[in-house]
Amino acid sequence: MTSVESRPPPTLDRRNALAWAAHRLFPNVRSGILTVILIPLLGYLAYRVFLFVAVNGRWEVVERNLTLFMQGTFPRDEQWRIVAQIVLLALAAGIGAGTASASAHDRAIEAGLPFTRSGSLDLIRRFWSVIGFVLILLYFASTTTPWLVAAGTVASFVVGLAARFLPTSWRNVGWALMALALVAGFQVVSGTSGRAWIISAVLVALGLLSVVSFEGLAKGWARLGGRTAVALGASAVVFLIYSNVVDPGVGWDAWSGLHLTLWVSALAIVLSFPLGLMLALARRSSLPALRGLATGYIELIRGVPLITLLFMGQFILVFMLPTGSNLSDISRAIAAMTLFTAAYVAEIVRGGLQSLPTGQTEAGQALGLAPPTTMRKIILPQALRAVIPAMVGQFISLFKDSTLLLIIAINEFLGVRSLVHAQADFRAVAHAETLVFAAFGYWAFSYAMSKESQRLEHRLRVGER
Amino acid sequence: MTTSEIFADATESKGEAVIEVDGVDKYFGDFQALEDINMRVGLQEVVVVIGPSGSGKSTLIRCINRLEKHDRGRIAVHGIELSDDVRNIQEIRRETGMVFQQFNLFPHLTVLENITLAPREVRRMPKKEAEDLAMEQLTRVKIPEQARKYPGQLSGGQQQRVAIARALAMRPKVMLFDEPTSALDPEMIKEVLDVMVELAEAGMTMIVVTHEMGFARAVADRVVFMSDGQIVEVGTPQHFFTDPREERTKLFLSQIL
Repeated sequence: MTSVESRPPPTLDRRNALAWAAHRLFPNVRSGILTVILIPLLGYLAYRVFLFVAVNGRWEVVERNLTLFMQGTFPRDEQWRIVAQIVLLALAAGIGAGTASASAHDRAIEAGLPFTRSGSLDLIRRFWSVIGFVLILLYFASTTTPWLVAAGTVASFVVGLAARFLPTSWRNVGWALMALALVAGFQVVSGTSGRAWIISAVLVALGLLSVVSFEGLAKGWARLGGRTAVALGASAVVFLIYSNVVDPGVGWDAWSGLHLTLWVSALAIVLSFPLGLMLALARRSSLPALRGLATGYIELIRGVPLITLLFMGQFILVFMLPTGSNLSDISRAIAAMTLFTAAYVAEIVRGGLQSLPTGQTEAGQALGLAPPTTMRKIILPQALRAVIPAMVGQFISLFKDSTLLLIIAINEFLGVRSLVHAQADFRAVAHAETLVFAAFGYWAFSYAMSKESQRLEHRLRVGER
Repeated sequence: MTTSEIFADATESKGEAVIEVDGVDKYFGDFQALEDINMRVGLQEVVVVIGPSGSGKSTLIRCINRLEKHDRGRIAVHGIELSDDVRNIQEIRRETGMVFQQFNLFPHLTVLENITLAPREVRRMPKKEAEDLAMEQLTRVKIPEQARKYPGQLSGGQQQRVAIARALAMRPKVMLFDEPTSALDPEMIKEVLDVMVELAEAGMTMIVVTHEMGFARAVADRVVFMSDGQIVEVGTPQHFFTDPREERTKLFLSQIL
C-alpha cells in the first residue's frame, strides 16, 4: 500500500509571497499570459458578486419570508411540532454518532490499532456548507426563536452523544434508541392517528430484529422464531400505544417549504435503495421470469422522464388503486420518485456487481457458503462500496429533482417562491434574491452529501485493491 | 510388478479411494475440455496433475467441487456422488478445500475474517472458537502475526498462504490446488511450496495442478499427465521423469525441463 504520506513536503517558503507568485502564477510565458488575463476577470466577477450580495441585493424579501421558506404553509399554531421534530432528529443524530464512534473504538481496540475520536472541529469541517446555510438563516432571523431552536438542536445532539458511554454489549441498544428517536421525530409532526402505527411498528420490529440476536440459541430456526416473536410482540405494543394516544398531527398534505423538500428526498432515498438493490439482484437472477420482469421495469422507467411519472402519479394512479384508498398527493409524489430512482440505483448496483472478479464468487462457493451468504458477506459489501460515488450522485440528483414537485402544485422549497412573489409587497420585486437564496440552500445540502460520500469512500478505502 | 508400474493406471489408488472420477466428459460449447476422464485418488495420497495449458487440468479439479458442471460420467468425493442437488454440492464443497491461482481472498475482510467467515457461516462456530481455529491455521502457514491486516497489505506469497489457511479452517478431507504458485513472483514460490509439502507430510489428500516439477518429484505419489482433455500417462514421479512412455509426454517434458 503506497500512501500519499510519501509525497515530499513543499519546498517553497510560504512566507515569501513573491517567490510563490513567480513560481505558481508565472512559471512560463504561456501561463503568465493566462494569469494576466484571468486574474482581472475573476476579480471583476468577485466584485460583481460582492456588489449583488452586500450592496444591491434587497434581501428583505428573504428576511420577511424566512418562515415561509422553511415550513411553507404549515399551520403556524402547530409550529412547535417542527421544533420538536428538529430537536428529536438532532438527538437521533447524536445517538447515532455516539454509537458509531464507540463501535469504531471497539473495533480499533480489538484490532490493536490506534483510535482517534473525531472532534467537533471535524464535524464542522464535514458539514460546513449546511452550518453556513443555518448561520445565514440565523442572520436573517428577526426573532429569538430560531436561535433558541439552534441552541436546542446542538444541546440535544450533545446529549445524544452520551450514547458513547453505553457498554459494548449494549451497542445495539444505541442503534435502537436512534431508530426510536427518528420515529418519534417523524410522528411528532405527522401525528399518531390513522395507520401511522403500521409504519412505526414495522420500524420498531425491524430495529428489534437487528438488536435481539438470540446468540444463546444454537439452532437457526429457533433464533429466527424467537426474533419473529419479539418483533410481533413489539408491533402489538406499538399498536396498543397508538390506539390509546390519538394525536391527529398535521398530515403531510399541509407540509411544504424546505421541511417538505428534506423529508420527501430523505424518504425517497431511503425507500429507493432497497428497491433498487432487489431489482439489481433480480436482473441477475437465474429465473427467466424474474430477470425479465426486472429488466423490463428498469428499461421502462429509465425511458421515461421523471416529470411524466409525477403526473402519472397524480392523475393515473387513482384509477389503478382500489377505490376508497386515498393516497395523498405527496405520498404519490414520493412513490413516483422512489420508483424512478430505484431503476437507476438498480443499474448502478448491477455495475458494481459486474465489476467484481468471478473468483470472489468461486472462492465463496468453494468454501461451501450458501449462495445467499456469498452474496451478503462477500459480493454485496464490495459491490456497494465500489458504487458509493455513483449512488450518492444519483441521490443528489434526486434531491434536486424534488423541485419538480412544484409543477404538480406542491410547494416545496423552490415552489414557495411563487407564494412569496404573490405577496403584495414583493410582487414587483425581481426574482434574483429568492432564486439565489434557494440555490444556495440546495447547494449547501448537496455539497454536504457529496462530502460525506467522499468521506465514506475514503473510510471504506474504495480506491484500494 | 516393478515399483514404477504400481500406480501406472489412474483408476487405481493407494488405499481407500477418496475421489472417484469415472468417464467424465466436459464441454464448453462445442469445445471438449475433458474426454473420458477416469481417476481415483486414495486417502492421504498426493496427485500432481501436469500438462500444457488448455489441456483441461484446471477444468478437471474444478469439476470435482462443482465450480464447473461435468456433462457426462460420475464424480464422487468421500462416497458422496455429485448431483444437481444443491445440498449435495454444498456437502462436497465443505469436505473439499480449494486454493486458486489468483488467491481470491476477500479484500474487504481482514485476514482473520477471511478465515473465520466459512467456519462461522457454514459450521455455525462461535466467534471465539473460530478465531482460535484461524490462529491455529495461520500458525501452520507461519504468518500468525498478519491476522489483523487486510489482504492488500500482504505479499503474494503471504496471500496465498492465507488462502491455504482459509481452506484448511473448514477441516477439509481433500485439498485441491489450482496452479497455486503461477501468479507469484519467483522468490515467493518456495514459501508456498514449503507449506504444501508440510501439508502433504501431515497426510492431507491433495490434487495439485502445477508447473513446479521439483514439487512433483519430491512430494507426489503419482503424476498425471494431461493433454487435449485426456489423461495421457500416469505414473510415480520416478517413472514419469526418467522413463515416460508416451510421445506427448516426452515432448512436453523436453519442452519444460
